[in-house]
Amino acid sequence: MSAPLILLPGDEVLRDHLPSNNSNPLKLGPGLRLLSQPSSKSKAGNHVLTATQAGLVTTDAKRNTVSILSFSNRRYIPTVNDLVIAQIHHSSIDYFHCMVTPHTAHALLGQLSFEGATKKTRPMLKQGELVYARVLSIGVGAGAEVELTCVNPATGKSEPGGLGPLVGGMVFDVSTGMAARLLRASSSSSEQSDTIDGLTVVSELGKKLESLGGFELAVGRNGKVWVDCSNAGDSAIKATIAIGRCLQTTDEKNLNPADQKKLVTRTLREMNLAS
Amino acid sequence: MSKEASLSVAEREFILEALRQDSRLDGRRADQFRPLNISFGEEYGHVKLELGKTRIIVRISSEVTKPRDDRPFDGLFNINLELSAMGSPAWENGRTNELEAYVTHVLDSVIRRSNALDTESLCILKGVSCWSIRADVHIIDYDGNITDAACIAIMTGLQHFRRPDAVVRDGQVVVYGVEERVPVALNITHKPLSITFNTFNEGHNVILDSTRKEEQASEGELVIGINNGGDVCFMSKFSGAPIDAMEVVTQSKVALDKVKEINAQIEKVMQTDLAKRAKKGMAEESRATNDREI
Repeated sequence: MSAPLILLPGDEVLRDHLPSNNSNPLKLGPGLRLLSQPSSKSKAGNHVLTATQAGLVTTDAKRNTVSILSFSNRRYIPTVNDLVIAQIHHSSIDYFHCMVTPHTAHALLGQLSFEGATKKTRPMLKQGELVYARVLSIGVGAGAEVELTCVNPATGKSEPGGLGPLVGGMVFDVSTGMAARLLRASSSSSEQSDTIDGLTVVSELGKKLESLGGFELAVGRNGKVWVDCSNAGDSAIKATIAIGRCLQTTDEKNLNPADQKKLVTRTLREMNLAS
Repeated sequence: MSKEASLSVAEREFILEALRQDSRLDGRRADQFRPLNISFGEEYGHVKLELGKTRIIVRISSEVTKPRDDRPFDGLFNINLELSAMGSPAWENGRTNELEAYVTHVLDSVIRRSNALDTESLCILKGVSCWSIRADVHIIDYDGNITDAACIAIMTGLQHFRRPDAVVRDGQVVVYGVEERVPVALNITHKPLSITFNTFNEGHNVILDSTRKEEQASEGELVIGINNGGDVCFMSKFSGAPIDAMEVVTQSKVALDKVKEINAQIEKVMQTDLAKRAKKGMAEESRATNDREI
């Protein structure tokens, strides 16, 4: 792999940093934009990728994607295909009006955009309930409506798996950068994520809490992490709190992998969960 | 949008269930405050306070004015609090909301009406001129419990503040600049602080220093203003679920311990700061010897 490349908004992504196998179309992640360059004479190079956010260029050769790993900020700007955790605000005939970030315009989630939903079997979500959804479209221009979906319209399945209503558990707030790191760590192979992101907290927690029955995580790009330990029985609440605290502390203090390990051990001991 | 974004069902239920098992989201005990960090700005009476993620800046200022006609021997003391959009996106600039009125009322009762600052000592010349002390409270970041945090910050500010010296000479009021005479500390009669309790699960769980999420999940609130001597100078139970009378008595004991602990901390940071200032303050500046060039 080539040396890390950090871009500022407006910078071009150089061709040699893009994944090389050209059989599939390249997928763009958040923070990048495809611009055409009409002035160029040769037909081949008339498109350029420019960064819209400052950050580290990250590529995934296996899935043929390129994206910008941005720094940790608190504000989330929806991008198409992001996974988010949204909270139902109210519902109307066709849509659930959801809150992706507080104090911004509501995002729309179709009443029927759930796996296997028909008019009769659609989920009846009430105010304050949570859904794990994908950003379907963000509209054009300012004030455009953001639309969410819990289903892949092409296949009718909830892809990637796990989309849909989140029941029970607890939501913890983290920075958007941390959410992006968590998502990356889950998608790429473990050794790769260790070297790039230095994020071992989740795998460490997984190892330590395995005896309790493990836990479920859903990470929303909007800076929310949903944790559920309902398998852990009596210590479910404590385990959930421990996971939330580990994630938040790792985020706030920007811990390196060794410190993350220590943090997990210490937190679990404090909560009397050490096995 | 003048309301905080509401909690999701999962969050509310989890917080309540966790409290039933005596755990809080950040791993604190029920009667434990978040880490309190007090620092001072360049000038006297400029306090920066952090209580967990809640951040407050208090600025104490003074000016010479005419006393009120009905109280010619008293100086003036005002507490100003404005919730601006800086603290939370739920607050709008220039529009008062319920929380603002409520917190202002509590601060006013705990600090001003309990005569924590001796206003008579602010009088310069009867009916003609007096000091007007003003405490401006700015909420920089809101994560619950601004009442207690603001109270601690104001009390620290009042103890830290130094007003210019003023004397009456031949019926004329002379105010000396800070460079001319050593400024004077305010006369603090006692050190009351407010302690807010939040109740959950029909009064079974009572916690101190709630975060924003805990506040939202709470069913009732009890505020006790108490000083080091154990004199309760304010108590309120504005809204929410009822609280057992015995609970109030036991909690005021908890409040007393907390107030003693916090006052001790205030004292400590004050002393370190004043010691630091003394080293480079007036004495250093009024040194007669010149720096010699060698």
